[in-house]
Amino acid sequence: MRAFRLKRTDWVGWIFSLPLLIGILGFAVYPMVYSLFMSFLQNGEWVGLKNYSYVVNDTMFWKSLWNTLYMGMLSVILGVSLSFILATLIYNVNFPRWRNFFKAVYFLPNVVSLVATSILFSLLFYPDQQGLLNYVASLVGIEPIGWFTDPNVARFSIVLMTLWGMLGYNTIIFLAALTSVPKELYEAAEVDGGNFFKKWWYVTIPYVRPVLMFMVIIGTINGMKRFTDIWLIGGSAGNPGGSLMTSVLYIYRNAFMSSQMGVGTAATYLLFLIILVLTLILMKLNKDQTK
Amino acid sequence: MNARSQPLETQAYKHIKAKRSQKVIRANVILITILLIGSLTMIVPFVWMLMTSFDWSARLNIPFPPRFWPEEFSLKPYEAAFTNVPLLKYMMNSVLVSAGVIFVSLLSATFSGYAISKLRFKGGTFVLVAALSTMMIPFEVTMIPQYLLFSNLNLLDNYLAFYLPALNFAFGTFLTKAFVDQLPGTLREAGVIDGAGEFRVFFSIFLPLCVPIISTMAILQFLAVWNDLLWPLLVLQTPDKYTVQLGMAMFTYNQGNSDLPSIIMAATTVSLLPVLVVYFLLQKYIVESIAQTGIKA
Repeated sequence: MRAFRLKRTDWVGWIFSLPLLIGILGFAVYPMVYSLFMSFLQNGEWVGLKNYSYVVNDTMFWKSLWNTLYMGMLSVILGVSLSFILATLIYNVNFPRWRNFFKAVYFLPNVVSLVATSILFSLLFYPDQQGLLNYVASLVGIEPIGWFTDPNVARFSIVLMTLWGMLGYNTIIFLAALTSVPKELYEAAEVDGGNFFKKWWYVTIPYVRPVLMFMVIIGTINGMKRFTDIWLIGGSAGNPGGSLMTSVLYIYRNAFMSSQMGVGTAATYLLFLIILVLTLILMKLNKDQTK
Repeated sequence: MNARSQPLETQAYKHIKAKRSQKVIRANVILITILLIGSLTMIVPFVWMLMTSFDWSARLNIPFPPRFWPEEFSLKPYEAAFTNVPLLKYMMNSVLVSAGVIFVSLLSATFSGYAISKLRFKGGTFVLVAALSTMMIPFEVTMIPQYLLFSNLNLLDNYLAFYLPALNFAFGTFLTKAFVDQLPGTLREAGVIDGAGEFRVFFSIFLPLCVPIISTMAILQFLAVWNDLLWPLLVLQTPDKYTVQLGMAMFTYNQGNSDLPSIIMAATTVSLLPVLVVYFLLQKYIVESIAQTGIKA
């Protein structure tokens, strides 16, 4: 009797999981394997590592990787620290209504699509005095900045735009983490004579370190996948001067504009390995820290 | 307890307490002021977008000096936006795409999540681990072969290219499993004893109980699908089938966005409306689900 029931749930369980299994096999496993296979092909012929050597020798690939890392790292460093400060500020507001208001306001840009954000910011960041930001800057005597048109500034402007969109997301997660810090720890620190900053440094930060790490990792991975905003702002050439060429844009160009699927998939695998290594390093660092 | 705290309620104690709360209030006023100034940075782009979208005199060029009140207040930019960009069509398409993706992904996720949690079938853990490991594969890694797959199946320019990949909603499986874990297993046993089949138990007992997690997943999926650009850009070919993001992107991509600023801002405002409405109605819910799960789908 018991054996029969076990058997039945096994059978039913697999049927219930069938849609998910089809999804996993068809749209995760198969594409992963197929793209690995494809990275060794050129026009249907096996070419060994030729695609990889093409990518590795392409200066554009390294440039795009550098741009991606630069924008990603800067966004993560600024984004995580700013949102941590922001979360601390909101957490210390004693009026729940105000707290909820700030949560809602700071999170708002996060629901806005990258398409709308890019359109909006390319007007706000308009390169001459017509742009709102340049106009405000001109009031205090700063010359107009070519936010998205000056190759030296464009990447930083993207970081600013990313901060606007991402800040609330990080803040919400930090707030959840702050709320979970046991009050006793603060009380203990107070007994030991800790002031606000000491409590922050010795109690809060160690306690939320795992969340901090989570955000650095998620932020890094997301930064490595950047495409939509830079494609809309810099076009498929990653203008100005290729300063906005990112890894995914590089893949997109090779695979879908020059129809070199082999090169595209080879670059994809390299990017995937880089993301994997970065994530593993970050996780290792975190482990060592908590020991 | 009372006897001990009673003598403390002296004038001096009350004085200290009052002083303390005064200090707290003063600190809070400063905090709130700083946060209000900060939130201006978040809001100003929206206000400026909205104001420009009503400014007919800003139709040809970005107004100078920048202004926050329309010089020629009018609804004409919206009229022009709807005639220049088939916004309603795009929105309908986006609704179709999001609704289908939400339906398919939630069905797949609730089925598998429930089964892993309550049926405890052989291999259930394996399915869960397999699903979770696919979460670590970024979409960008599989986009080329997925594109080729749909191209070979002749399903480019077909919304099935959105619905089919939605079957793999590993995050949803994980969320459902965690949620159903908290529901008593006796519910299923009672149903089975009463002669209900497994599907019957799932649909009439568990699914109604899962409404909170289902709504969370639906919101997360809606935001993700509605705002996506890369996959629509790859698989949609005829403008008639464009989603609203792709339509907006293509319009500004070809047009350049410094021309027709008020019209583009009007179109952008309209394209944002559904998301903003959802956000304002469900704001608390969205913020909470992000805080709890830490991940947007």
